[in-house]
Amino acid sequence: MSAYLDGRPGRGAYAFALAIVAVPLALALFGPLFAGAPDPRATSFTLGGGHWLGTDFVGRDVWRQILLGGRPVVLTALAATALAYLVALPIGLTAALTHRGRLEELLIRPLDILLAVPSLLLILLVATVFTPGAAGLAPLVALANIPDAARLVRAAAAEAASRPAVEAMRLQGETWWRMGVGYVGRSILRTLAADAGIRLTGVLYLVATAAFLGVGVAPDAADWAVMVDRNRTGLFVQPWAVVVPALLIVALTTGSNLLFDAALDDGGRAERKNGRAERKNGRTERKKGKWT
Amino acid sequence: MRPLRSWLARRLLLGAAQTVAVVLLVFALTEALPGDAAVALAGDEPDPARVAAIRETMELDRPATARLLDWAAGLAHGDLGTSLVSRRPVSAYVADGFGPTLLLASLTVLLLVPAGVGLGVLAARHRGRLADRAISTVTLGVYAVPEFALGVLLVTVFALRLGWLPPTAVGYGTDLLGHPAALVLPVLVLLSRPVCSLARMVRAGMIEALASPYAAQARRYGIPGARIRYAHALPNAVAPAAQHLARTVDWLLCGVIVVEALFVIPGLGTVLMNAVAERDVPVVQGLAVVFGVITVVLNIGADLVTRGFAPRGEVTA
Repeated sequence: MSAYLDGRPGRGAYAFALAIVAVPLALALFGPLFAGAPDPRATSFTLGGGHWLGTDFVGRDVWRQILLGGRPVVLTALAATALAYLVALPIGLTAALTHRGRLEELLIRPLDILLAVPSLLLILLVATVFTPGAAGLAPLVALANIPDAARLVRAAAAEAASRPAVEAMRLQGETWWRMGVGYVGRSILRTLAADAGIRLTGVLYLVATAAFLGVGVAPDAADWAVMVDRNRTGLFVQPWAVVVPALLIVALTTGSNLLFDAALDDGGRAERKNGRAERKNGRTERKKGKWT
Repeated sequence: MRPLRSWLARRLLLGAAQTVAVVLLVFALTEALPGDAAVALAGDEPDPARVAAIRETMELDRPATARLLDWAAGLAHGDLGTSLVSRRPVSAYVADGFGPTLLLASLTVLLLVPAGVGLGVLAARHRGRLADRAISTVTLGVYAVPEFALGVLLVTVFALRLGWLPPTAVGYGTDLLGHPAALVLPVLVLLSRPVCSLARMVRAGMIEALASPYAAQARRYGIPGARIRYAHALPNAVAPAAQHLARTVDWLLCGVIVVEALFVIPGLGTVLMNAVAERDVPVVQGLAVVFGVITVVLNIGADLVTRGFAPRGEVTA
């Protein structure tokens, strides 16, 4: 497995990834602070005329929309990842720690079945029925991630839960909380941290794609993905309104994936010494785990 | 290692359970509609005539179990229901959109395997050198990029700046094969993510296989390097990749929806997005069942292929 790790640019990988992700991340974090008050609306799809990047499909300043549009993407992705773990952790931990096979089946089998529904389809299905608002997209994307996350938690926790230490704690009558969270939860932290990075990249992809398709966003929202969609009609007149947000999304997703991979590499190097490098290679294999 | 027949039976049983669950899940969604489903679907200002029409089409006056049984029986006969908007059968929608989507998906899979395996083997052969580092970094980076962002940038460069390819498939209808130039960008965008993950899987598998004792033993026998690589190592490297290939169906499906929206191709994805926009629940449900069943079947297929390539690898069911 270690063979998978080498052949990468090593330390330079961090700097490279950081350089790519820095611009979109800075815009997402600090952009809204510099956006200022909205200008009166100008003509649609113009270039110049006091607008550095021209105007968009309803005549708003593109640069201002860019400053405002990164935050919803990043915040929704973070919220969705957190929500997914909030549900997946108790399910996975309970399934791993219980000695009742039936309970484990009851918790895990439905997730196997949910895995058969493609994630974007699941989001679209629910969106048809509930027409989610701006706050609705995060739970939807989280929902699509819960099955996979819960299975990962269970798989990681099952190993820790079978250690003699847990049996000893069980015999001593320790509470579930101390066993489940205090011991097992702590011993799977590394795996979770690694998975969180990969998951966040996947969530970013889903959040942006759903927003592009108009799910969970207002039609004129200040959101990079929505900008790409709505300004497409003017691509031949005013490409900046599409190209700049698209480039920012590419930089954000590419950069974060490279960054998390570089971090995993470091973690992998440290872990390999303990003979626990399996996790690293799981990044693609685990994507849709095997049916167990 | 269980015998093949019992494994197959279990795998098919799981597939059947997944199909049933998809049908139930899709049906449950209309039941989850808040309040009166017909009123909820009729729009912001419900027109009584439209509410009545929806109620009649979806037979909302009958108990849910009876409707579920009818719907499921209809599904078994290929009757997917009736659209709320146009009153056309959903199967007609599917028939309309199936051609372009099938063309896009099959072209993508056809090119995906040689491109992904080729890149993976190339990287593994030059392990640690420039070619490997370039392939590894690019595949890792592109793998996370949403199709729409990549697609829009490709359109800007190849259609807008260079003028080599048409920006969308507008005006070509379903006759895409007659206009191959319009297919280049959509297929390229669809390929972007799966190629990256496949190449990474194959690279990892090849490196592991070439470092294994059986490859070393084969080298000691004096078997030529090319034969070890392609006849011995590659099948073992492809086994996990085949498993992975079916899992990428999920992405391919997402990708098809996005790519059809981006390039205005009248396939299943466009039909689905239109139905979502119009809240045409029967059409969305019918398409969801079709997509769900395709996913289940392809996953079973992939597990079978995986067993064929590496029967001792444990594919659990």
